[in-house]
Amino acid sequence: MRTQTYELNMGPQHPSTHGVLRVILELDGETVIRAKPVVGYLHRGIEKICESKSYPQVLPYADRLDYLHSMGNALGLCQTVEKLMGVEVPERAEYIRVIMAELSRIASHQIFLGSLVGECGALTGFVFAIRDRERILDLFDMACGARMTFHYIRYGGVVQDLPEGWVEACRKFLDDFDGMMETYRNLLVGNEILQARLKGIAVLSAERALAMSASGGVLRASGVNYDVRKAEPYGIYNRFDFDVPLGTVGDSWDRMMVRLGEMEQAARIVRQALDQMPEGPVMAKVPKLIKPPPGEIYHHVENSKGDLGYYLVSDGSPKPYRLHVRRPAFVNLQLLDELCRGYLLADVVPILGTLDPVLGEVDC
Amino acid sequence: MPNDDILLRIGASLRELFAGVLPGPDAVDVAMYFVALIACVALIFTNAVILILAERKVAGFMQSRLGPHRLGPYGMFQTVADVIKLLTKEDYRPQGVDKWVWAMAPVVLFVPPVMVYAVLPFGKNLVPVDLNIGIFYFVAVSSVATIAFLMAGWGSNNKYSVIGGMRAVAQMVSYEIPLVFSILGVVMLTGSLQTSVIVEKQSGIWFILLQPVAFVIYLIAAAAETNRMPFDLVEGESEIIAGPFTEYSGMRWAMFFLAEYASLFAVSAIASTLFLGGWHGPSFLPGWVWFLGKTYVMIFVFMWVRWTFPRLRVDQLMALCWKYLIPVSLANILITGIGIFAYRAMGG
Amino acid sequence: MYGKGLLTGLGITLREFFRKKATERYPEVRPKLTERFRGGKLALEPEKCIACGLCSLNCPNGSIRLVTVKDEAGKRKLSEYEYDAGACMYCNLCIENCPQKCIRWDKKFDFAGYDRKHLIIDCIAVANAKKAAEREGGAETHE
Repeated sequence: MRTQTYELNMGPQHPSTHGVLRVILELDGETVIRAKPVVGYLHRGIEKICESKSYPQVLPYADRLDYLHSMGNALGLCQTVEKLMGVEVPERAEYIRVIMAELSRIASHQIFLGSLVGECGALTGFVFAIRDRERILDLFDMACGARMTFHYIRYGGVVQDLPEGWVEACRKFLDDFDGMMETYRNLLVGNEILQARLKGIAVLSAERALAMSASGGVLRASGVNYDVRKAEPYGIYNRFDFDVPLGTVGDSWDRMMVRLGEMEQAARIVRQALDQMPEGPVMAKVPKLIKPPPGEIYHHVENSKGDLGYYLVSDGSPKPYRLHVRRPAFVNLQLLDELCRGYLLADVVPILGTLDPVLGEVDC
Repeated sequence: MPNDDILLRIGASLRELFAGVLPGPDAVDVAMYFVALIACVALIFTNAVILILAERKVAGFMQSRLGPHRLGPYGMFQTVADVIKLLTKEDYRPQGVDKWVWAMAPVVLFVPPVMVYAVLPFGKNLVPVDLNIGIFYFVAVSSVATIAFLMAGWGSNNKYSVIGGMRAVAQMVSYEIPLVFSILGVVMLTGSLQTSVIVEKQSGIWFILLQPVAFVIYLIAAAAETNRMPFDLVEGESEIIAGPFTEYSGMRWAMFFLAEYASLFAVSAIASTLFLGGWHGPSFLPGWVWFLGKTYVMIFVFMWVRWTFPRLRVDQLMALCWKYLIPVSLANILITGIGIFAYRAMGG
Repeated sequence: MYGKGLLTGLGITLREFFRKKATERYPEVRPKLTERFRGGKLALEPEKCIACGLCSLNCPNGSIRLVTVKDEAGKRKLSEYEYDAGACMYCNLCIENCPQKCIRWDKKFDFAGYDRKHLIIDCIAVANAKKAAEREGGAETHE
């Protein structure tokens, strides 16, 4: 009997493509022959917009790249510009930045976990993760008045000192955080159905992960010990004691467990930072008109999706001459085709989930 | 004192009323069947309204939400409002669908649950049609639903729908086998396929105690038969949008929902008939209250499972059925047979 | 044992069933806004404004439009001040850069409308209306 493959258009309007991603699937029955991601539905031209904005005006746009880990994005861009200008950031500001970035990482991974299990069908797990993330958003709201696009970390420090009672609220969250992780472990990690769905699926070898320049949890799940916070410590990350969770197999399950481990490590960093945080100013002396000297610079940070890099060319004017962002989610998304081949239609969704693309960042 | 039962008294007075108007006892019987049919359909509709609200409430409560709480006290009129909205929606037929097959599918899907209600033993002498092959009838009729899913999937002219329809056929045909085998254990104990007799035989001990394995298998297979959560691959909203229902909207779509909840009630009622002693219970409440109560407990269990577990993959679903459920249910039948033989040999 | 995880999961959802819920009953119970909350519309105090235009210059999206006129004394004065909430990024740069601290967030975040026009707000008119209402309210209490 002659059989024929067919094309299935998944997205851009689809319940589980993380926004407006379109995947063109070539299927043989339910087996995937080819999965071609089509990006660009959320393209706003942020890199180009930035060329016509002054440096302070560029900063809010960084929040809108990976909108789930905004603090990390802003931290990266600020450090890039500070590096070029040679600004020294006050101690307290450095600690606040680390606390914010790591809390943001937890929030981002909660979305990752929630959407992954939600796509596997466990909607209750999704709601639990979102509910717990609310606690972190409340903390951000207290500190900067916004829940999503914070614009809190600025060139030279942070815009305002932490409000009264914030540290206590943060400690309270950290106390409850262990209970949250316990719930996730009992409800989701221990669930045999979820294990059956994710274990042994879409195995990515360390060689292929490196060859496709994957980063973040995707790379570490394959057993490659590369975390920018450890490899090239930026800010004050070398002062903290934390582990880099690594996977052994490189399947979807490892990609999930690595992220869960990262959440715990992030909480560990926040605890240490809260203990060590000194008093003092939170803003360095930065001129009102930011004019970095002519030159170019590349700086990268570990964002929740992976290795986020900023390449900035300055011509000495108050506007960046060119700003390029190396978006980890975009680079990781390249793996989709390779990972999906030979698996079933029902596996495409969890595989996409474990790659954790945020379309704001992919399309930029 | 079965005649104290209010439902039976209503039935008896209706029968008297018809006997005065209609010629001959056959015509009265036919009229009474119509009354039973109308009662069943009314039960299905009111039940669906209640169950949809219950499902949303259970889902909400398990997800630390309140569920619908805006319309009426505790959101009680939410489903009513939803139904009105669905009824007033435009009856939209997408271009390129197979007109008849597409339009018939929701109706065909609705038929088996309604037919199943005919043999549900709501109480002593409260079986709409007390067939002597009641359970067999249930199994036979409920497999018709497969065709409706395939019709909806094929007629919609949509790839997601076709995938869903194909999954439905594979899943429902496979899971019918463990379902029947699990029922078989109970049938062996009673020696009858008549639902009222099966309940009657449980006056002493509920069959859940004699057939715990069969009960678990029945639960799993019934969840798969009604396409509920760990097995809702037919809908699989994260993969294939809504499967066969993708191209339906308005009241046609609501028919699918109605059928889903009607069959959920049906399988739960059969579970309480076969394993939980049907209408038996302390006599301060009428039998049908006990029956409905047990059925709702079963429905809660199905909902509870739905809002806890993720979904299986299609190959795992098949593996679970053919590699685990069928051998275990066969073994269960063997052990039941040996047990019955030993019991008889001991002179029971 | 296989199935243990499933049972633990069932236990967790059942426990949650009886716990306190996290739902906020929004329109009846208003959320408690934090002190630093950025949201709603820009509220301008026209008397304090010196019409320097820094807010408009610092806005990344050009969501503030102001027109100045020179009065008899040659002093710049505000004649129009329009804020387009549809283009606003809520980045706070206008407020931070205001030398007179004459703009702030009114924190009334629920101003949905049926048209994009509703998102463009004439801040001077809003301020004047508010003042008139206060005067009226004050007069009433006086009587």
